[in-house]
Amino acid sequence: MAGSINLTVKIGNLIFKNPILTASGTFGYGLEYSKYLNLSKLGGIITKGLSLYEKLGNPPPRIVETPCGMLNAIGLQNIGIDAFIVEKLPKLSRFNTHIIANIYGAEVEDFVRIAEKIENEDRISAIEINVSCPNVSAGGALFGKDPDMVFVLVSSVKKVTKKPIIVKLTPNVSDIAFIAQAAQSAGADAVSLINTITGMVIDTKTKKHLLANKTGGLSGPAIYPVGVRMVYEVYEKVKIPIIGVGGIYNADIALQYIMAGATLVEIGTANFIDPSITMEILKGIEEYMENEGIKNISQLIGIAHSSK
Amino acid sequence: MRLKIVENKQIAKDVFKLRIDNPGLFEIDPGQFLMLKINDYPFPLLRRPFSIAGFGDTIDIIYKVVGEGTRILSKKSKGEFVDIVAPLGRGFSINSAKKIMLVGGGIGVAGLLYLKDVIEKQYKLPYETYFGFNFKEEVFVNDVNIATMDGSVGFKGNVVDFVADKLNKDVMVYACGPTLMLRRLAFLCFDAGCSMQVSLESRMACGIGVCLGCVILTADNRFKKVCSDGPVFDYEEIQWQAL
Ligand SMILES: Cc1cc2nc3c(=O)[nH]c(=O)nc-3n(C[C@H](O)[C@H](O)[C@H](O)COP(=O)(O)OP(=O)(O)OC[C@H]3O[C@@H](n4cnc5c(N)ncnc54)[C@H](O)[C@@H]3O)c2cc1C
Ligand SMILES: Cc1cc2nc3c(=O)[nH]c(=O)nc-3n(C[C@H](O)[C@H](O)[C@H](O)COP(=O)(O)O)c2cc1C
Ligand code: FES
Repeated sequence: MAGSINLTVKIGNLIFKNPILTASGTFGYGLEYSKYLNLSKLGGIITKGLSLYEKLGNPPPRIVETPCGMLNAIGLQNIGIDAFIVEKLPKLSRFNTHIIANIYGAEVEDFVRIAEKIENEDRISAIEINVSCPNVSAGGALFGKDPDMVFVLVSSVKKVTKKPIIVKLTPNVSDIAFIAQAAQSAGADAVSLINTITGMVIDTKTKKHLLANKTGGLSGPAIYPVGVRMVYEVYEKVKIPIIGVGGIYNADIALQYIMAGATLVEIGTANFIDPSITMEILKGIEEYMENEGIKNISQLIGIAHSSK
Repeated sequence: MRLKIVENKQIAKDVFKLRIDNPGLFEIDPGQFLMLKINDYPFPLLRRPFSIAGFGDTIDIIYKVVGEGTRILSKKSKGEFVDIVAPLGRGFSINSAKKIMLVGGGIGVAGLLYLKDVIEKQYKLPYETYFGFNFKEEVFVNDVNIATMDGSVGFKGNVVDFVADKLNKDVMVYACGPTLMLRRLAFLCFDAGCSMQVSLESRMACGIGVCLGCVILTADNRFKKVCSDGPVFDYEEIQWQAL
């Protein structure tokens, strides 16, 4: 009986009906998928990374497949925050789910200005700050690798918004917990991890890089053990909720993240392959809880830490 | 949609025809495509895009074995299931005022076969086909105008040379094939003032317009998504030098 199971989780005061979110860049602006699933059943939708102005992104080829994964170097192509608010948000608001704006800038000031624009949009529930995109020259992962920068950035955004702030971290660092702590002390309400892992593929026929950008971000099933390990490490060091992301394509992997310490999970690349995969994962989590006799999902969060 | 394979047979060198059950849940325009999941998760991870080569009692694709995914697909047999997402993309628009020419190269010919059916049976319009291959063993259609590079069937040389002197402003070309072929054809069409719609290929992850992986550069220096703005484009929209 799904009814007796409690899947609600929280970030700050924000209540999510279930822990399933869609990862930025893998769900468009949300609307594209409304044909394939009822968006109102999602815990939340995280938008494609939004910048202050429209951004064209990197030249193609932008993607390449690897064993159980893919590399992408999209370069944050997006329509810009204003166009998002005017063109997409009204349509998205018809759905009963949280809309989280994933934002990106080249400088601290850019992040602040985007956050200001969002502040009066009631339909946006929270902000996910992307300090971890590996595919752009300025900003991006440069922020995410430096704890002082993360601190400055998060505190600056915090000053202009009351909305919960989620900081999305890069795995391309030696100590991710250290960065997470910086985000926490600057007042972040949650951290999400991980963004893609930087990789490269060379075409042996042409003897050149396959991606125009040379390097790209690795995502998909291949990376989930890295994500689970990082969530586990960060859980031991920070108190704010963690959102687990990276390679989730079934309920079992989502549960691994939750047991490692994630309060919510984001589903990314798997959406490309199965547009309604989020609903299957949700169902799988419910079934697992029923079978295990677990009534409240919070009982599972971080449970792997107590087992010897 | 999980659909049953009705037939999967080799029809030329490295070329197979896959016919799957048509559940009758959707219509398809010529030039639209489907995304096919070859195996269960997670390998190969991404779906593979294929043009629809025929649509009726079955949904048909014609594919060339080029890598791991198509190799696995070629081993599937009747009664097994494959999972598809369809219909996807924007197809050809049919212009009856002009003289219609279908120009295809290699496996790209597959992308024109359903268009040919529709022009012939639904629109009942006159048309000409010019299909090019490398050599006889690769030919998987028996249309009148075939070109082969080695001259083993039909015109000797490439299909662009075959049609070069037939292009003029009253002609509408529908083309699908290797990028180099399409680019040469586009330049000829520019010179001849002829109209052309081309079906392009690109590496795709989602096929529905969200990943932004499949973009091509347009004449005005912007990006368009091959999967959802295309795969069929007016040739004047595209920055051919960048392809
Ligand atoms: C809209 C569209 C229609 C197509 N229609 C047909 C068709 O009717 N018949 C046919 O034989 N082929 C068609 N293709 C090309 C076909 O998708 C690729 O040949 C196929 O994906 C190769 O998969 P693989 O696993 O065998 O190759 P691999 O090289 O192992 O594939 C690795 C990755 O590269 C991608 N890829 C490789 N070659 C291409 C290519 N030429 N175009 C796009 N992506 C590629 C694959 O999808 C995969 O993600 C079409 C492509 C597009 C975009
Ligand atoms: C095509 C693509 C585009 C992405 N764009 C963004 C983005 O704009 N902002 C962001 O924070 N993360 C972006 N990501 C990273 C994902 O949100 C996610 O962190 C990563 O893909 C790992 O999860 P997965 O393995 O489930 O895909 C992108 C990923 C992919 C594959
Ligand atoms: S394949 Fe994803 S946007 Fe075109």
